[in-house]
Amino acid sequence: MTTETDTKARNAEALAAANKKYEWGFSSDIEQEFAPKGLSEDTVRFISAKKNEPEWMLEYRLKAFRTWQTMELPEWAKLAIPEIDYQDAYYYAEPKQKKALGSLDEVDPEILRVYEKLGIPIEEQKMLAGVEGARKVAVDAVFDSVSVATTFRAELEAAGVIFRSISEAIREYPDLVRKWLGKVVPVRDNFFSALNAAVFSDGTFVYVPEGVRCPMELSTYFRINAENTGQFERTLIVADKGSYVSYLEGCTAPMRDENQLHAAVVELVALDDAEIKYSTVQNWYPGDENGKGGIFNFVTKRALCEGKNSKVSWTQVETGSAITWKYPSCVLKGDGSVGEFYSVAVTNGHQQADTGTKMLHIGKNTRSTIVSKGISAGKSNNTYRGRVLVNAGAENVRNFTQCDSLLLGDQCGAHTVPYIEVKNPSAQIEHEATTSKISEDQMFYAMQRGLDSEAAVALIVNGFAREVLKQLPMEFAVEAQKLLGISLEGSVG
Amino acid sequence: MVSTLELPTPRMEEWRWADMQALRSAAEAEPRVTGLDPADLFLDLDGPRLCFIDGAFEPAHSRPGAVQVTRQIVSSTHPLASLAEGEGWSLHIEPEHAVTAIQIVHLGSGGESHVPARIVLAEDAVASLVETYAGVGWANRLTSISLARGARLMRSVRLLQDEGFVSVRDEAEVGEAASLVSIFLGAGGMGSRIDGALTLTGKGAFAEMGGALLTRGSQRQECAVAVRHEETDGSSRQIWRAVAADKSVASLAARVEVARGAQKTDGEQSLRGLLLDRTATVNLKPELEIFADDVKCAHGATVGELDKNALFYLESRGIDKARATAMLTRSFVADALSRIGEDAVREAFEADADKWLGGTL
Repeated sequence: MTTETDTKARNAEALAAANKKYEWGFSSDIEQEFAPKGLSEDTVRFISAKKNEPEWMLEYRLKAFRTWQTMELPEWAKLAIPEIDYQDAYYYAEPKQKKALGSLDEVDPEILRVYEKLGIPIEEQKMLAGVEGARKVAVDAVFDSVSVATTFRAELEAAGVIFRSISEAIREYPDLVRKWLGKVVPVRDNFFSALNAAVFSDGTFVYVPEGVRCPMELSTYFRINAENTGQFERTLIVADKGSYVSYLEGCTAPMRDENQLHAAVVELVALDDAEIKYSTVQNWYPGDENGKGGIFNFVTKRALCEGKNSKVSWTQVETGSAITWKYPSCVLKGDGSVGEFYSVAVTNGHQQADTGTKMLHIGKNTRSTIVSKGISAGKSNNTYRGRVLVNAGAENVRNFTQCDSLLLGDQCGAHTVPYIEVKNPSAQIEHEATTSKISEDQMFYAMQRGLDSEAAVALIVNGFAREVLKQLPMEFAVEAQKLLGISLEGSVG
Repeated sequence: MVSTLELPTPRMEEWRWADMQALRSAAEAEPRVTGLDPADLFLDLDGPRLCFIDGAFEPAHSRPGAVQVTRQIVSSTHPLASLAEGEGWSLHIEPEHAVTAIQIVHLGSGGESHVPARIVLAEDAVASLVETYAGVGWANRLTSISLARGARLMRSVRLLQDEGFVSVRDEAEVGEAASLVSIFLGAGGMGSRIDGALTLTGKGAFAEMGGALLTRGSQRQECAVAVRHEETDGSSRQIWRAVAADKSVASLAARVEVARGAQKTDGEQSLRGLLLDRTATVNLKPELEIFADDVKCAHGATVGELDKNALFYLESRGIDKARATAMLTRSFVADALSRIGEDAVREAFEADADKWLGGTL
């Protein structure tokens, strides 16, 4: 009983707190929190007005929308993308339309089992699953982390680091945002980047000033609206001269989400001697065992190594989503700049992933490393697609690419599509690829040591992906390892 | 004629490196006297000879033997090969028979020429073939190949046109334990597109398509080959070398496809590019598409300049730089040409490559 009273009290508290939040944010239109269905200039204007954006931002969005209307969905990926009706979706909505669940008992037991395997605390499980009673816990949790975030914010501000939601940043640091927004991923870059530019809901803005080493790993997880960033996330990170920042995106726990189409844009800028490390763990709903449902994840991620000796390192562990279309890339413009891409992509069931990277060598003495590990199981398809370009003026470029594929079962597919375009003879470009399966010897060896078949597969797969996993920040790495094992459950034996 | 054609555009993924402008200008070029004597284009080999001048059969320089000159009906859906309709040649070989050292010479004097060809080898039949392209204009060819169980075909093709464009498309089906080897040398001044779709339809089949593309000036040559394994225990090889000088572009695209159930496939790809000048470009695309789990598919791709240590070593032995460069480039190209089985043919191809190197380095 006491818990129930507690719950009610906390609910009321949370509600009050939530309303208060709106009071600060917007003075009007509190009731109407979503734009009418469909996509038109009006939707774009609505979103922009909702966010109190300056005129230039609205212009930017409208221009992007008009550009998007002239573009077509690219077809080169090895993906079977069902027809998407862009008019049959909401483009701005507080994510309240999630069906509230009474308790954890109503959650798909399959998901609960995964939570348990990942070792997620019960209260956090409730939050992730969207249990109603737990909302307040979730809010509490969020408020907890807000206080945490506030402490962090003070510490970050002392260091001069700006860490804001992009909407806040547009209002508070318009010059800084305006200078870099769309500079790395122009509106016209591709179909989804144009769509994102028109309707992006929220995202993150980070600016690390000259010479500052960001005192902590930044993560969306700590941000109050982390769970509201929605379908069209926009991230912009600028590392000024000589600075360093490590950014973590995503969460290992499977998220319940009603938005099927996700089209995020991430832009990174590294000036002279700056370094950005960007790590992603993505585990969105991949659809059921028949391939029904699941998230479409169409992401454009690109880094501009603008300054000399700058460095950007992408690390990604992709296990979720029904369709993944994602190529975190580096434009190596500054002399001596370095680009790295470490990726593990796991597909199971009916998942499709077409992912990889682009390394565009423009500056002299630029270097890049690509390590891609693709693991396919079930009836899934997993494609590595990469491009290494060496411009005529780029002297002494080095690139090393390794893409390894692991097939579990004979119903899946593993594909490799590398493009290598070299215009300067001093470049040294190497590309290696292998395709293999887990051998019976490996399984036998692991199992005769007492591991069951699933543990054995998890062990071997983690070994296969080790080169990538070791690039992840520690707390992520441990969870990512567990995640690989879980994602492949039922694929062997 | 050509201006009404719908040519592929670089927006099409399979054609992003293609030089269709060169093809169009070659097709629209006015005919002119090349001064080439077809007799000089044949190698000194006994065997059937066919000569096509601007796509028309030329009996004076031919002794067809087992090869028939016929009209062909083309069923290809390939954008260029589907145009290769009209008079062409066909070769049918009975079980356990052999016809070797067949030579086909294609001489162009401008404009476009289309020649379809069909090669059918019955069980355990053997054939070898050398094709030479010379002159100018746009030569467009489709070769359909069908190999029955245990049949073996060795095919060597050299593209030596002074200018213009050569587009070659091979569509082959390789049956059980049959073997197809096609080696190409692009050492002329023309633009080229070497297109291949080889399908291994029988168990234990072997297919190879490879060669060397040497480019200079503002020339663009490319290959786009797909080998598809449909049965178990098949093996395939794609060994390509590209050497690019001046402002030229050499592109190598090779794909191995392993169909569901084609277990124990062994697919090998090796694509290597050598850049001789700051302004040259090499593009590589070693692609794998795999739907079976018990396969061995490895590919390697590299681009760069000549190994400085090797150059230094040769120079330290008193060999001047130009000669050392030529020696190393020659050995780079030889990897691909050494696949040609017949000594006389291989030596002729190596001589063509040497001549190109002599004129470039």
